[in-house]
Amino acid sequence: MPLKAVRLAWRITRLNFRAQLEYRSEFLMMVAIGAVWQVSVIVFATVLLTRFSGMGGWDSSDVLLIPATRMLAHGLFVLFLGRMHGIGYFIQEGQIDVCLVRPLPVHLQVQLRVFPTNAIGDLTVAVGLMVAALGRSHLDWSAGRISYLVAAVLGGMLLEAALFTAVASAALRFPTADYWGRWLEELLGTFGSYPLNVLPKAVGGLLTYGLPLAFVAYFPAAVLTGHGHSTGVPYWLAAASPVLGLLAYLGSRLLWRWSLGHYTGVNG
Amino acid sequence: MAVLHAWRTARVTPLGELHTPPRMTAALLRLAVQVVLVASLWHGLYAHTGTTAGMTRDQAVTYAVLAVLASRLRELDQYAARDTVIQHMHFGTIVYWYLRPLSPQRYYALRALGEQLYGLAWALTGFAVCLAAGVVEPPGSAAVAGAFALSLLLGQWILYYVMLAIDQLCFFTLRNNAAMLILIFAQNLLSGVYAPLWFFPDWFVTMSGFLPFQATLSVPLSLYVGRIPLSDAVPALLVQAAWVAVLALFTRLVWRLAARQVISQGG
Repeated sequence: MPLKAVRLAWRITRLNFRAQLEYRSEFLMMVAIGAVWQVSVIVFATVLLTRFSGMGGWDSSDVLLIPATRMLAHGLFVLFLGRMHGIGYFIQEGQIDVCLVRPLPVHLQVQLRVFPTNAIGDLTVAVGLMVAALGRSHLDWSAGRISYLVAAVLGGMLLEAALFTAVASAALRFPTADYWGRWLEELLGTFGSYPLNVLPKAVGGLLTYGLPLAFVAYFPAAVLTGHGHSTGVPYWLAAASPVLGLLAYLGSRLLWRWSLGHYTGVNG
Repeated sequence: MAVLHAWRTARVTPLGELHTPPRMTAALLRLAVQVVLVASLWHGLYAHTGTTAGMTRDQAVTYAVLAVLASRLRELDQYAARDTVIQHMHFGTIVYWYLRPLSPQRYYALRALGEQLYGLAWALTGFAVCLAAGVVEPPGSAAVAGAFALSLLLGQWILYYVMLAIDQLCFFTLRNNAAMLILIFAQNLLSGVYAPLWFFPDWFVTMSGFLPFQATLSVPLSLYVGRIPLSDAVPALLVQAAWVAVLALFTRLVWRLAARQVISQGG
């Protein structure tokens, strides 16, 4: 991105942040909602881990690494690339048409349309959980492992962004496709945080090859904790999760560009 | 005549849904996948465990699947109908609610009734399929089924008032997005959608007892799976009825206060 565009993006973000501060109670509640939404995942995971003897052969400290990775990836996604989620109404109200005539890429304009206040809460809880997960972990955190974890978080962020960008691309043609985005978020929150080998093989396969939730956090965590050979997919595929996230995101951006090229607003 | 008007208002949402087949197809697919996933998760969790927190595998699976089905009762995409309080506040059209020969309270209640009846049709169909497929257990007896039905009705009534209170917040704060999200979170967590409340620590169960959320879902589902025995059904139903009364009075008062906040054409 050229320096001028970066400067412009920064100025717009600052203005958006000030706009969010205009409604103080709403601002604080949005920060809170980001936090409590993530806490719900922790509560559910904690309840399951205390009531059941491990999950899918993983001990609790290893399991904790899955929601920590997913949550951190999700928080970064919400902060940097999250405005693709929920774009249906933006399209339905014809606001995307305005973006088409401005001298800035439409994708960038969409990302800059509002400051994601809830990301503050999301990331606060996610960092806390990651610190707790690393603190309880018995693994030797060598430079290689730490690098892979960072790559996994970034890959998870890109994969989530890819999924929502694909839904947004569909919404350009069918605005009600937004409905699928909300479902996707629900699935990611519910089933993206646990070892998927606890599910029957067919269901696990659906969440691997049908909807690639397993690549967001489960596979990278499995590789890091030594469960990489028991995931039901070839080890190399599980290990390549961060790269797949990058490829999926690049693919989704191409899909977005193609969909935007074929977009017809109410005026044709 | 009044009944005819009520019927016409209540059917707005179901008719809107029936005229959008893609939304219905999506809802069907989403419900089916969610039921399969939830049932698979609880079967998997119980694979190496017997009774946990006093709940057997069949009880836990039945509870979890019924929670998914019950969530359909109020899971409509209300924004799509462009008739939510926040949208009317945003566009200044809330004033029309006060200009019709139908009070806003009545209009809101009738729309909600239509939504919940539409959702009930989905939930009942899903229940029948799950029962036939053996995914959920049937109720222990006719008396249990009756207590469950009554409790579910009261639970939905409470949920209606809770949702109304959040919508009424718009009259005073103009926005309620965050409050709505917090409410959905609290509702899911404290009513036992994420996991049955029986799995949570004692302090959590005690705390939830002082809030209305557990009365919306946890109580009826616990009656259904037998975690609340039939002998304890009457006190549980009375607590639900008390919540209905308290919330009815509260929201009635807020409707009155809200009317003073409505501004027509800026002045």
